[in-house]
Amino acid sequence: MDSELFSPKPRSRRQLLKMAASGAFGLGLSQILSGCGWRLGNVRSGQSNTSSSNELFLYTWAQYVDEELLKNFRNVTGLRTIRELFDSNEKMMAALQAGKGQTFSVLYPSEYFIPKLLKADLLAELDHDRVQGLDNLMPQFRRSAGDLDNHYGVPFAWGTTGLIYNQEKIPEGIENWDYLWKNKEKLTRKMTLLDDSREVLGCALKSLNYSINETNADRIKKAYEKLTILKPHIASFTTDGWRTQLAAGDLWVAMGYSSDAIGLLKENPKLRYIVPKPGGSRWSDWMVIPKAAPNPNAAYQWINYLLKPDVAASVAQRLAVTTPNANAIPLLPQELQRNTVSYPTAEVMARCESMTALTDEAEKLYDKYWTQLMS
Amino acid sequence: MASSPVSNSSQSWSQRLEPFLMLVPAGLWLFLLLILPTLLIFQLSLVPGIKPGDLVNPSSLENYFKIFEPSVLLVILRSIGLSILTTLFCLILGFPVAYWIALLAPERWQNLLLLGFVLPLWTSSLLRAYAWISILRPTGVLNTILTTLHLPALDVMNQLPAVLIGMTYSLLPYMVLILYSSLEKLDRRLLEAAADLGAPPKDVFMNVTVPQALPGIAAGVLLVFINAIGDFINPELLGGPSSMTAARLLYSRFLGASPDWGMGSALSALLIMLVTLAIVCLIKYGDKNARSI
Repeated sequence: MDSELFSPKPRSRRQLLKMAASGAFGLGLSQILSGCGWRLGNVRSGQSNTSSSNELFLYTWAQYVDEELLKNFRNVTGLRTIRELFDSNEKMMAALQAGKGQTFSVLYPSEYFIPKLLKADLLAELDHDRVQGLDNLMPQFRRSAGDLDNHYGVPFAWGTTGLIYNQEKIPEGIENWDYLWKNKEKLTRKMTLLDDSREVLGCALKSLNYSINETNADRIKKAYEKLTILKPHIASFTTDGWRTQLAAGDLWVAMGYSSDAIGLLKENPKLRYIVPKPGGSRWSDWMVIPKAAPNPNAAYQWINYLLKPDVAASVAQRLAVTTPNANAIPLLPQELQRNTVSYPTAEVMARCESMTALTDEAEKLYDKYWTQLMS
Repeated sequence: MASSPVSNSSQSWSQRLEPFLMLVPAGLWLFLLLILPTLLIFQLSLVPGIKPGDLVNPSSLENYFKIFEPSVLLVILRSIGLSILTTLFCLILGFPVAYWIALLAPERWQNLLLLGFVLPLWTSSLLRAYAWISILRPTGVLNTILTTLHLPALDVMNQLPAVLIGMTYSLLPYMVLILYSSLEKLDRRLLEAAADLGAPPKDVFMNVTVPQALPGIAAGVLLVFINAIGDFINPELLGGPSSMTAARLLYSRFLGASPDWGMGSALSALLIMLVTLAIVCLIKYGDKNARSI
């Protein structure tokens, strides 16, 4: 190893030439690259018409598609379905923009994420003539803040966000978000919150009686400050990792989605789910067709299949999701219809607010406070 | 050391070309998969507010200024501090092991012992992190043993101590391997000579063993430090909200809820420069002593 390479003064003309050449090479290369005008994550949003018409590619959450659904769909339509999974909306968008934009015919974004996809020009408008069964949906799901009148997507599942707690360890039950703050010493390292900036800042905003889509800078700051009080007592911010820990007894209360709670409460009778006062968030996951979908025909067939009441009912039962299909609910077993975790009462629904996209300045504020909270 | 190829007119051009041709496969691989991506990252870091789909037009250092916000600086300092502590622990724990295997253990067992120590590297580091989770959990193996012995339970999980334990465990085999290969080359005659001249064992160690092992110690320290700075799995799985490190911050900037690829690239560039600095130190101070022998 020639240590002369790192001496302050080049010893010989050869050394000087070497250093100059490597420096110029590096600079020249970046100039060439920038001169080419390369785009980051080159997404071609034109229609591509080469693809097997017998195949459907889905990009979805793990809980929403299982083998039996794919098999039944194939029996009905003859289409082979391949699914790929993601676990967060942001990762889905990053994957789409990094080149997978042309692979999938159906995506499953969350409701608040649809405006972002629209802004990035990734979605195709739904042709209502090709969609059958929109009338099956509950009226509040015929439109959303991001998508009026189902122009771009069809909801698949919905739920609430709340707290799942261990009844044995917390016998008095939890009624209010403030319970966490009032009992933070008792619950030190025994509670977790979601790893989602909107949900966590949202629950702090709700506990202060503000809206979950707050854009007022002072109120957002107050919510952040309230969270910093709780932060030293939180075990971790996690969206999935709390399940085994709650079951094992490491955690006493975890913030989670109602769709997670359905399965857990069935397995473990000690657990309870509650949407604390003064309120929580209502989320929904929608099926959309991307602009560059290779097989839009198959996509419409998939959506129509899932809008059928009997299919929606069987999916809701088997995969433990809450269906927005009004005509499917009477087909569910009585105990599932009465399950207040899956199908909340009107009183709980009145407390829940659905998450909408925020203004750019508000988004930046949320990001800033989330980064500071995480540091 | 081989002198640089001096143009000797008696050599044919094919003979002169040969060394460079040998370098082409490795050179191409290095260029396409290391140098080019690094240059691209540097380019991306100079574009403020870049989003996928944007034209890449290097124009300002704004992303680097974002790094100098207090919260980000805190994260970087925490990463460096964790890495230094991990390196220290690895050195303190690894040196006796390497010394024993190299100098004190029976010769025929040396390879077996070394293999045994390096075996954890054969498993995925993700699995090892999960194993630590099940040990350090509030109701995990460690606390079960402690409570059975009527000792107070330790609350380590999701905090910096757990991250430290995980990182030290992951990087210890590297330190032991490097120290072993250095201590193996120790000239025992010098040790005997020092003892014969009346030096107590402590002086023999400090004045004879350590200086000879210094290049190995430098190499081990820097390798562990470089790996620790970039470690993502251990802080992510074993750490909590108060143990955000540079690698986790990078991940959240690219794939998290608030993507900021420009700042992520700037942070990557900073880490690359930090690691390059460490490697330069290694080259400068590591080999010199070896060459003097």
